Amino acid sequence: MLDSIRNIFSIPDLRRRVLFTLALLAVYRIGAQIPNPGISASALAELWESQKGTILGMVDLFTGRSMSRMTIFALGIMPYISASIILQLLQVVWPYLERLSKEGEMGRKKITQFTRYGTLGICIIQSAGIASLLQSLRSPVSNAPIVPNPGIGFVMMTILTLTTGTVFIMWLGEQISERGIGNGISLIIFAGIVVDFPRAALSMIQGLRTGDQTPLRVIFLVALMLAVIAVIVFVERGQRRLPVSYAKRVVGRKIYGGQSTHLPLRVNTGGVIPIIFAASVITIPMTVAQMVNVPFLQNIAQQFSPGMPMYFLFYVAAIIFFTYFYVSIIFNPTDVADNLRKYGGFIPGIRPGKNTSDYIDSVLSRLTLVGALYLAAVAAVPEILISGLRVDTLPVIGPFLDQNLPDWFTQGMGLQFYFGGTSLLIVVGVAMDTLQQIEAQLVMRHYDGFMRRSRLKGRRG
Amino acid sequence: MINLDNNRFKHLWNRFKGNPIEWDLGEYKALLEKVNTCELGDLSERELKDISSRLREEARQGKSLDELLPEAYALVRETAERTVGLRPFDVQVMAGMAMHRGRLIEMNTGEGKTLAAVFPAYLNALTGKGVHIHTFNDYLARRDAAWMGPIYTFLGLSVGCIQQGMTPQERKKAYSSDITYTTAKEAGFDFLRDQLCYNAEDLVHRDFNFALMDEADSILIDEARVPLVIAGTTGKPKGDTSQMAELVRGLREGADFETDDGRRNVYLTDRGLERIEAILGLGSLHDPENLDALTKLNQALHAESLIHHDIDYIVRNGKVEIVDEFTGRVVEDRHWPDGLQAAVEAKEKLVSGSGGSVLGSITLQHFLKLYPKLCGMTATARPSAEELKEFYGLTVAVIPPNRPCIRRDEPDLVFTHKEAKTKTLITEIGRVHAAGRPILVGTASVEESEELTAALKKAGITCQVLNAKNDELEAGIVARAGELGAVTISTNMAGRGTDIKLGGEDGQDRDQVVGLGGMYVIGTNRHESLRIDQQLQGRAGRQGDPGTSRFFVSLEDYLIERYGILNLLPKKYHDLKQETPILDSLVNREIERGQRIIEGQNFEIRKTLWEYSSLMEKQRDLIQRRRCEILSDGSLLEQLSHQAPEQYAELASRLGEPRLQEVERLTTLFHIDRCWAEHLAQVSDIRESIHLVSVGGNAPINEFHKLVSAAFLELDQKIDEEVLHTFEGLKFTGNDLDLDEAGIRGPSSTWTYLISDNTFGSWVGLLQGTNIGFTAVAAGYLGPLYVLLGLLRRRRLRRNNPLEQSETQDKSDTQ
Repeated sequence: MLDSIRNIFSIPDLRRRVLFTLALLAVYRIGAQIPNPGISASALAELWESQKGTILGMVDLFTGRSMSRMTIFALGIMPYISASIILQLLQVVWPYLERLSKEGEMGRKKITQFTRYGTLGICIIQSAGIASLLQSLRSPVSNAPIVPNPGIGFVMMTILTLTTGTVFIMWLGEQISERGIGNGISLIIFAGIVVDFPRAALSMIQGLRTGDQTPLRVIFLVALMLAVIAVIVFVERGQRRLPVSYAKRVVGRKIYGGQSTHLPLRVNTGGVIPIIFAASVITIPMTVAQMVNVPFLQNIAQQFSPGMPMYFLFYVAAIIFFTYFYVSIIFNPTDVADNLRKYGGFIPGIRPGKNTSDYIDSVLSRLTLVGALYLAAVAAVPEILISGLRVDTLPVIGPFLDQNLPDWFTQGMGLQFYFGGTSLLIVVGVAMDTLQQIEAQLVMRHYDGFMRRSRLKGRRG
Repeated sequence: MINLDNNRFKHLWNRFKGNPIEWDLGEYKALLEKVNTCELGDLSERELKDISSRLREEARQGKSLDELLPEAYALVRETAERTVGLRPFDVQVMAGMAMHRGRLIEMNTGEGKTLAAVFPAYLNALTGKGVHIHTFNDYLARRDAAWMGPIYTFLGLSVGCIQQGMTPQERKKAYSSDITYTTAKEAGFDFLRDQLCYNAEDLVHRDFNFALMDEADSILIDEARVPLVIAGTTGKPKGDTSQMAELVRGLREGADFETDDGRRNVYLTDRGLERIEAILGLGSLHDPENLDALTKLNQALHAESLIHHDIDYIVRNGKVEIVDEFTGRVVEDRHWPDGLQAAVEAKEKLVSGSGGSVLGSITLQHFLKLYPKLCGMTATARPSAEELKEFYGLTVAVIPPNRPCIRRDEPDLVFTHKEAKTKTLITEIGRVHAAGRPILVGTASVEESEELTAALKKAGITCQVLNAKNDELEAGIVARAGELGAVTISTNMAGRGTDIKLGGEDGQDRDQVVGLGGMYVIGTNRHESLRIDQQLQGRAGRQGDPGTSRFFVSLEDYLIERYGILNLLPKKYHDLKQETPILDSLVNREIERGQRIIEGQNFEIRKTLWEYSSLMEKQRDLIQRRRCEILSDGSLLEQLSHQAPEQYAELASRLGEPRLQEVERLTTLFHIDRCWAEHLAQVSDIRESIHLVSVGGNAPINEFHKLVSAAFLELDQKIDEEVLHTFEGLKFTGNDLDLDEAGIRGPSSTWTYLISDNTFGSWVGLLQGTNIGFTAVAAGYLGPLYVLLGLLRRRRLRRNNPLEQSETQDKSDTQ
């Protein structure tokens, strides 16, 4: 571990890139502490307290908690991502853009430029919306207004600060991608999530001091956390490798050291997306209940709040459903089989075309079941630990289970932090990706040794 | 000057936009003043020569070339006037300055770049470290060296030129000249061959110093798509390929096999596969034991459907000879790789030569970067200025024309089908020819040039044809192409660099030809890039002469078909057939857009090639440096004396230390080469399938780095082991060790390979990249929109998939 870090810093180019990335991420985090002027922080905090469990929670996570504190980065990187997705959609439906995207570097640069303009536009609209919304809101506790001095001045200023903030983040992201290491946008989101971690650790230590937490529990929790991360890393790297042959060359064909060509199918092809879809869907009842004040809906929403058995049942089912759904969108065995055939590749013993795509499909379906169960576990386990599984609300067997199951299972550990499956998957995923890029750069380092090791008198010195 | 101010503004505007184009020539104008103040007109020949030797002396003593520039340029200007009778214009001198500054200059076609190149070449050759001028083709290397040679020799510098088929001795002599005219490819292949030498005295190259590329955009952009690969004999290819050639001859495109976009790959359909399997009777061809047969089948199919007689190659003297895609000339000693050569030979029912394996490879991009100082010139740099900056660090400097170009470029005539095009073309040629105006027709291939010649003959028009089959007549045909009443049909052999003098070589009918409107250039096709089109147009209207150019295009042209440009046009044109040209400027615009898309695709290919080859270049450099050290001083090796001291002592006593060291040197070099060749084969195996890892969510380039580096690190040890192993097996013949019996010898012959890098592009099966944060947020924040994008993309892929289309067509056929 230490060795690899030393390696990173022994290659000048890599060192520069890593330090550049860290510096820019630090700038991002500093900016994320600067509050937007004209807002009552205490009133805002009280308001957010009442929004727990709604879709806003996830959005807030993506902004690195900038939204709940209304900092100048409150819009986060989302307008940029919206603009990219909209542009990609337009490329599918608008022939002009589609052709532009094929015109090589020049075309791509133009599209990037369009994306930037789009970001700017979305920012202005969104910040105007947020500003006017904030003006109309009051704290549910103290009834104090969020914006003590509303007016056109506040709106204009908020548009200016939030838009500038997001454009600045976009610029940071592009700079990291270009001159740093890893993908800038991913790393900015990564940085927004991991900052929760020290805060959570701190609250745990405070809990120990005040006696809210027992040392045993803390140790168990830390161990479990590490175990979950280990499982994530293990499964995310898990692949089923289908052998592939290329029948294109006559000479020089050899099998090199057992490292043959293969088509790697991932256990978890869908990544974190199925959980995110499931999490968004599961927040719908709460979000609706927040908006309309109907007792009947409130009751239903109650059943779908974290910790309730119905919540878990639907959550897990939704994850499994979305895993299959999403894999079917992004991975099309027919395309893969066609692609193989076009370049002269085939799976030995299996005919190209339909046979191959059927074979890939059947392997993938079985793999995806494992992937879906894994995703469900990764999403559910931390939640149970945090808020427990309220079995007592179950009909008939509820009370019995409640009495016979341990407290930490039924009541949760009462921990104040949210470090759920979604965040973990994103953090681990981005970290693994970035590491892979660093690794590829590290490869160069070994070459320095090549000449040194060659047995030449002149080099011995 | 109004013009200057305008350019200065353009310059600033480009700087603002980050465009790497230099318009501001103020700096060079100031230098030009200095050059003009050197009054040399009254000096005697002797005195001029004395100045030249003084300049050489000063340069060799380390005086900066920038300081010598004004005097040297004035000297070249004066000498050019006296020796070759050309007085360089101010713009040519300025172009020379910009090139000395390492710029890539853009000068209009026919503005006299060849002469402009003499300035920086002379200046940089003063140090005696050698200057290479890379010309576009062999013919131009010969012509330019002979044409400009008197200037250099007058000034006391030696000139050489490299031609195909030269012996190593001749090459070495040419490279040791102060100035060497060669093609970039020849220089590159010589560099690769140098890496296979066993004796330091066999090296033909010196250390690189300065290179000036003529037609730089062609070298740096068009040709950079194809890496330089050198191969050597490793024995006969196994098995018979003629059966497969016979077999695939009966297959039909569309039904039995398909090609992908851009016609880069070919593959059998299910029906074709079943037919072949039924004939061969080997069972399923995709069983592991039939891999060999399947490989041969694929190659035969590739040779049959993607490599065309009289387009990609010609058959001459019972041999298949490859025609270079860009220069239109036959390239000696070039083969297709991996058994494809044998497949093409089988297709032509010729005796197959020997098989080979790749011994060394470098991309043109990396090769040119070996020159400490690089500059270039062309008429068409601006469209690619950004790429030139990004990959080569070259800034384009635009030199204004000496006299404004008055050539008229008529809009394209677009026809719906080929016959209509040819008919109008012949009428047009007949009409213009009747008045006696010289015509140059640029065709796309040998085949097309011959068809057109035959058609013209039938119409009673005599014409000259210039293509790969009669390249020895080139100089004569070009000399007469500007004569009154000349009709010249050419392939892209006359596309670049060719200088056609109006009214014939000595210009006897010049006034009459000018009166008729000058040269009339007709293109029978649009080319892959606008730059190549512009070069063809540039054969007319040189040095302010009048001229006209026009392209005749049909919607059935190869380019339009190959890249599916038809799909860009409105539906109504798809099945239209009419005799008159389509009068719709939209069609012209869309064809131009099609060219831009092709340029975009080619850019991707070059970029991918660059990314993958950069790592290989590092490895090649390390291996070569190690090899060089051993080559120059074998006594440095002490591996044997360390690893097997007893054997070493024994051998040393019988052979004597010097001979033993030589044997060790040769053995080590041999094994370095062999292990390197094996390594290259392994790398190309990895390269071929590495795109599959993207399915597993990894970036192919990263995985490639990992695998290739691991393999390279083992190389070191493997070489040592092999050397020791060989030594243990060495036998004495008489009093000496027998190296021949141990197989220690270089390749008996080498040739070059034509390998076009296949890009796989983005993997179509996966929507999601490796950008986890992005996709996560997109999914969480924009959920339904993101799903919609995925679904739309899938549908689009399906619609664009030729395979799917053909299957549905097949079904309707059978119903």
